[in-house]
Amino acid sequence: MKVRVRFFARFRELLGNEIVAEVAEGTTVPDLVKQVTEKNSEGHTAIFDENGQFREYVILMRNARRIDTADAPKQIIADGDDIAVFPPVAGG
Amino acid sequence: MIAIQNVDVDIGRLINDAKQRGTGAIVVFDGIVRDDDICEMELEAYVDVALHELEKIGKDATEQFNLLHVDIVHRIGRLAIGENILVIVVGAGHREEAYEGSRFIIEAIKAGVPIWKKELTKNGGRWVPGEHGHGRGK
Repeated sequence: MKVRVRFFARFRELLGNEIVAEVAEGTTVPDLVKQVTEKNSEGHTAIFDENGQFREYVILMRNARRIDTADAPKQIIADGDDIAVFPPVAGG
Repeated sequence: MIAIQNVDVDIGRLINDAKQRGTGAIVVFDGIVRDDDICEMELEAYVDVALHELEKIGKDATEQFNLLHVDIVHRIGRLAIGENILVIVVGAGHREEAYEGSRFIIEAIKAGVPIWKKELTKNGGRWVPGEHGHGRGK
């Protein structure tokens, strides 16, 4: 399956605009984000804490809809998914 | 007019275009780049999502406060000190609805629309921290 992970703001500076990844069946949202960030320790550390959990301030979207980081491990990635990972917003 | 754009916006024209039969008050919110010892500000958006959310905020405000007109124009890209970042023009029959509708819109934008600001300084830059940041799907 091919999916896209996009990053914004500080996460974009650390990890790039987006990463297109091939993932296995049964991959969860946190699995996917770990997979695409594992080779970038600064980016990975900005998103995950020492226990491998999403940091409290991380915001996730799946196909343009917000998902709770606590629910993310229950969400199985589907082919063509568009995942966005970003820090707290600061518009206005 | 709901827009996310690099170019500036003509506020006077927006005010004129907002006037219609029944309009008794227009409130304009203009958020500008403040001189906090910075050189410039850089704004970034998840454009598709942010635009959709701005449209929803405008619709919600219109319904909740009986607004007659709403414009929301958010700038992105590099902006100099004093430039417009966000212009909200709200038209209503009376001032109460116009003020409340305008306040509702700016607070909703700050609470959740995926837009970010980076203050560029002589020594680099710093991302402006969000006011409502957490990952609980909000």
